[in-house]
Amino acid sequence: MTPSLESKGLQPLVEFAGVSRRYGEITALEQVSFTLTRGEFAFLVGPSGAGKTTLLKLINREIRPSDGEVWVDAIAAHDLPATKVPELRRHVGVVFQDYKLLPRLTVLENVAFALQVTDLMITDQEAHDRALDALEAVGLGERSGAFPAELSGGQQQRVAIARAVVTQPPLLIADEPTGNLDMETAWQIMDLLDDIASFGTAILLATHNVDIVTKMQRRILTLVDGHLVRDQPAGRTGKMAWLAWS
Amino acid sequence: MAGVVVSGRFPRRRVPRAMVKNVARVLLRGAFRNWLRNLATTAPALGSMTLLLLLSGLVGVLGFALWSVAQTETRDAAVLHVYLRDDASAAQVDQLRTKLQADRDISSVHFVSKDQALALARKRPGLPDLARASGGNPFPASFDVQVKRLADVGKVDSAVRRAAAVDPVYPTSYDPGAYQRLTTMLLWVAIVGSAFMLLLGFVAVTVTANSIRAAIHSRRDEVTIMQLVGAPRWMVRGPFVIEGAITGGTAGLVAGLVTLVVTLTVVSAGGSSFLQLAPGLSIAAAALACGAVFLAGLVIGSGSSVLGVHRHLES
Repeated sequence: MTPSLESKGLQPLVEFAGVSRRYGEITALEQVSFTLTRGEFAFLVGPSGAGKTTLLKLINREIRPSDGEVWVDAIAAHDLPATKVPELRRHVGVVFQDYKLLPRLTVLENVAFALQVTDLMITDQEAHDRALDALEAVGLGERSGAFPAELSGGQQQRVAIARAVVTQPPLLIADEPTGNLDMETAWQIMDLLDDIASFGTAILLATHNVDIVTKMQRRILTLVDGHLVRDQPAGRTGKMAWLAWS
Repeated sequence: MAGVVVSGRFPRRRVPRAMVKNVARVLLRGAFRNWLRNLATTAPALGSMTLLLLLSGLVGVLGFALWSVAQTETRDAAVLHVYLRDDASAAQVDQLRTKLQADRDISSVHFVSKDQALALARKRPGLPDLARASGGNPFPASFDVQVKRLADVGKVDSAVRRAAAVDPVYPTSYDPGAYQRLTTMLLWVAIVGSAFMLLLGFVAVTVTANSIRAAIHSRRDEVTIMQLVGAPRWMVRGPFVIEGAITGGTAGLVAGLVTLVVTLTVVSAGGSSFLQLAPGLSIAAAALACGAVFLAGLVIGSGSSVLGVHRHLES
């Protein structure tokens, strides 16, 4: 299903090899295989219950696969002991539909928090400066002193993205990041993510938003009932896109 | 769009001071801040632990006193007091002394005159009143006989109790069942005390673990974010363990101080009959009990937090 990256001289950032995940009698993912390269922007689509969130959780080692192998930045996530999980997660930025910002911290503190809990050597000044830099990058430098409740949904999602990228992970996974936003704001978020990908961060984004997926013309991984049924390369959308399906 | 930081423009300064400051902030300041914030939910656990530790401390002090009694009794059990008749002649007393000194089962013989017996009695609670009430000296002279082996005390008693110099009404201090009764009683006290302590420990651990579960629940979002951004496990779990240690330490401190005050009150009542029953109690013993209760609070608090964190915080 996937082309040989090694043959093209590309090192996969994420690699799923025959991954299955079962919850008791229920199969959430079945024999899923694909790779994601550095800087690649891919959509993960499919109906509710198709296994999108399960796939993202496998990348972040929130769960283990029942079968198969999951590699993230050369780390064997499928075989990772609990003590090593934090190390893996420093390679993966995560964005949620509900933002998950800490309400008692300011926007700047929320972003700096991610730095301070992952790097004990960082000074307060450095954490402040880097957090502010990330906030300016997402267009919220002026609101750094505000609390999350004082921001709109789109602004809160920007803060969440700033927090996810401030540690400069090579991979960003996003689970329905535009799910709570109107279309205009959703497009602003997508532009931001596109910008992030252009600087070399790979992005895997689970979404239901057909309009965005169609117009962005990025790679599309389609899950149905836990099976990866399509892996559509970037730029191949439109009525004849099925010709490109592998 | 201003762009996203891909390679940081800020050089990494690996400053140990920054590390110490960050560790202190995350572990200590964070734990204290959250402990104070969660005090309302922690209060029942704190109260329960204080009460349980106080009971443990008092039971421990009582156990120590009984242990001291057992030590004294064990030491005294091999000493046989042979009471002499008031009208015994010097020759009869000398004859008895010679007989005792010749006995191979006896290591030493010490004579206690009536005056010395009275002086000793005056040091014991209650006995001075008896001395005054009788209008004279009711205490007999005696030989304090140190028997080599505890098992031979009965044999020595049989050998001397019919001697001419010995008081026929109350010849010796030998009580064949006393030591056995004391040992049996101490065994039961130890069993009941241990069971009681185990029960208290179990309750304390359960109560603290539950309070930590509540603390974890109240900070679920923060914990989730810390875990998802890759915070080290010790950084996620550490503050909860320290919170538990603060709860246990506070409970232990309060319970330890109350135990100290109660024990010192008993010790200060030097002539009381209780102290006579518990000769091991002293200021040092009281301080030791206080320290032990405080330490137990710290250990139970942090230990049960470790259990609670292990159970309720999954990676």
